[in-house]
Amino acid sequence: MNCDRFLSLLVLGGLSFGSVRAAEEITIYTQRHYAFDEELHAMFTANTGIKVNVVKANADELMVRIKEEGDNTPADLFMTADGGTLDRARVAGLLQPILSQDVLNRVAASLRDADGNWIAMTQRGRVIVYSPDRVKPEELSTYEDLANPRWRGRLLVRSSTSSYNQSLLATIIAADGSEKAAEWAKAVRENMARPPQGSDRDQAKAVAAGLGDVAIMNTYYVGLLEGSENQADRDAAAKIKVFFPNQDGRGAHVNISGVGILKASKKVDLATKFIEFVLSDEAQSLIPNKTYEYPVVTTVPWSEQQERWGKFKADPVALATLGEFNAEAVRIFNEAGWE
Amino acid sequence: MDTSPPVQEKSISSSSDLGLSCRGLRVGDAWGWGVVLLTLLILLPLAVVILHLGKEGTEWGHIVKTVLAGYLRNTLILTAGVILLVLVMGLPSAWLVSAYDFPGRKVLSWLLILPLAIPTYVGAFVYSQGLESAIPLLVWIRTNLGVDAFVRAELIVRYGLLILMMSGVLYPYIYLAARSAFTLQGRTVIEAARCLGQGPSRVFWTVALPMARPAVVAGTALVVMEVINDYGAVHFFGVPTLTEGIFRTWFGMGDKTSALRLAAIVMLVVAGLLTLEQALRGRARFVEAEASGIPLSRKRLRGVEAVGAVLLCLTPLLVGFFYPVGRLGDWAWENLTSDRSVSFPALTALGRGFALASSTALVATLLGAIFVYAVRLRENPLRRFCGRVAGLGYATPGAVIAVGVMVLLGAIDRSHGTGGPLLSGTLGAIGFAYLVRFFAIPLQFARAGMDRLGRSIEEASRLLGQAPLATFRRVTLPLLQGPLWAAGMLVFVDILKELPLTLVLRPANFETLATTAFSLASEARLQACAVPSLLIVATGAVGLMIMNRWLMVPRSHD
Repeated sequence: MNCDRFLSLLVLGGLSFGSVRAAEEITIYTQRHYAFDEELHAMFTANTGIKVNVVKANADELMVRIKEEGDNTPADLFMTADGGTLDRARVAGLLQPILSQDVLNRVAASLRDADGNWIAMTQRGRVIVYSPDRVKPEELSTYEDLANPRWRGRLLVRSSTSSYNQSLLATIIAADGSEKAAEWAKAVRENMARPPQGSDRDQAKAVAAGLGDVAIMNTYYVGLLEGSENQADRDAAAKIKVFFPNQDGRGAHVNISGVGILKASKKVDLATKFIEFVLSDEAQSLIPNKTYEYPVVTTVPWSEQQERWGKFKADPVALATLGEFNAEAVRIFNEAGWE
Repeated sequence: MDTSPPVQEKSISSSSDLGLSCRGLRVGDAWGWGVVLLTLLILLPLAVVILHLGKEGTEWGHIVKTVLAGYLRNTLILTAGVILLVLVMGLPSAWLVSAYDFPGRKVLSWLLILPLAIPTYVGAFVYSQGLESAIPLLVWIRTNLGVDAFVRAELIVRYGLLILMMSGVLYPYIYLAARSAFTLQGRTVIEAARCLGQGPSRVFWTVALPMARPAVVAGTALVVMEVINDYGAVHFFGVPTLTEGIFRTWFGMGDKTSALRLAAIVMLVVAGLLTLEQALRGRARFVEAEASGIPLSRKRLRGVEAVGAVLLCLTPLLVGFFYPVGRLGDWAWENLTSDRSVSFPALTALGRGFALASSTALVATLLGAIFVYAVRLRENPLRRFCGRVAGLGYATPGAVIAVGVMVLLGAIDRSHGTGGPLLSGTLGAIGFAYLVRFFAIPLQFARAGMDRLGRSIEEASRLLGQAPLATFRRVTLPLLQGPLWAAGMLVFVDILKELPLTLVLRPANFETLATTAFSLASEARLQACAVPSLLIVATGAVGLMIMNRWLMVPRSHD
């Protein structure tokens, strides 16, 4: 082994670690892991010439990273798939207000922070999906009803580590109070066909396969199954139906995927441009057909699937509430033994 | 001839009384300072974790009351189940390829290590699809035997499949350890037992197995660490263990203190296991005076016996390699031939991951070799202590190390004010984290290699006037090529598979095969995920084959 050759290898390696910085670029820390996001970033670069750098990871891990990097963080934007998480970033003092009124006015006031610290880019309903062979839609009514013992061994839902479930439980805490929410979580856990596991997509497939009869999951996963490259996914999608619960009461739980500009960002203008683009008609009109999420700009039409699922009443609870009750929700899940 | 070598001249005199006396270090003792500084550097991110052991986070009481028992129970069930199965899979196959000859033995003997190339999360992903095929059976049970039987059956199927899958990809640790013990260490004794007319099963149970025990225990310790640190597979299967508890506490409940306390407990448990392993090994260290490179003479098997041996070796391979690779191959083919095939991040990005893995493996291996050499150069309690704790990262969950590194580099970055990003979020940071995580591997291999080498050659070189560094470069390093290549390859494969640490620490736009596979897998996109998964397995398999080659010719330079 030749030491000199080894040393020069090391030096070369060290040099290649440094990267050359382009003139205009922004960096996004994102929880969103959809292939479509890459398309979206490429479109933004094509439109504006601004390069987009991306770090994808779990939202809470990214928050730890942003805190640790402090003022030196290369990140300009923080993007999550859950409104509660985004508002926790605001509470932690990581975000700064979006100043452009034009950007803020693209969405309804309920879809952005009161001070403009974050703004929604898509919406997703967390609903009940059922097997029309084994369940009549008349048997379904509310989230609360899923605690009824007649669903014993028939219900499917993913782990409580998912922020989607944490936010859903936060809305139940907000609507029914902690005590009722705790009873609900415990009863729902007892009704599960199997201990919670897998993604929302897996719950849908398990309903299609007959393991359970109803599942709690996000709407867009049904769309993703329908549009999947895999025949088995498309077959599964044909065997399930979407039900929007609590239509006679507060409405179905609708969460957001959203974005905020980091306080430490030195490229506020470029970051604002990016948000502007994501909220443009051009980008918004792609979302319903690509990720099957709902657009946040009301003038943008829904996809064919979304029209088929139908209009529904959404729970008007403030998105900040999701963040506020997050810790409580996690505690209730733990006590209920909902893994 | 009085030739007490210089190496021993100034050795263990005063400092043997107390562990960490300053007397272990002298000003101007470059080797000693090097050992201590490197140890400190590696321990710093871990210290962040260990310091939380005594602190009580806000949610600690709640965690103890609600979820801790479940985490412990799952961890224990999983560990116990996997230990049992890896022994069943690893020991008989190792014994067969070492002590017998049968058609296909040569091929099987290296095929049997290949499951190591399969990351547990990829295995879990494949096997969780197997879980789906059990659904009709479960539905039948529910209709005919009721909901309670159904819920129980579901549990059994799921835990069973998870344990089977993990054992299938982890047994090679046992297999490798046992195989080298059987072939190289036990040769003379086993052959003597045979000559004395002992039957094959008696030779195995009373001679070979007890002799291989230290190696097997060491292999088991590695398996246990892998199981305890696993993050992806247990998540896919919905079996939360202590490690998943760390993340849930931290990220779900926002209680970093309690999370790090859990992590510290995990570290303590593993450290306890390692001490136990040392104790079990006791004085039973095999000085391989006989490691002449002549392997055990193999008895020829014929007919039914030969078929049985082949089948016995094929079974673990089927579970840990052929089934997962077959399924992945199927899906990858579907993806590539489908009109909706999914494209992947540019090959250049994957190339960067590859370059990072190989350069880190190279640095880690050489550092490990120098480190062990320095520790041995003058064995005092301080250096021995350093040698023991520098490998502690292997017992720490990847994401915990990631956060330790993040906190450490963040503090350094902040200390010299603003002025753009500095250390954190660079490839250097992630490389450092890998080093902390996997340093134990080159340490183990280098230590074993140097123990086997003995001191005489190095001492001769010193006597002939070569300085320690020159001796290392010109004598030790060339002689240790075998174990070091093996260590380097193992680190390389491990980094290639590494996930949680990479996810948290990676720079922008940085995708490795593992992160690509994982993000597709978490979206349950089988076909798309199969391609990067297969690439990991293929690259890992090549690395392992190189490793195997170097392991099997331990002293080709004699």
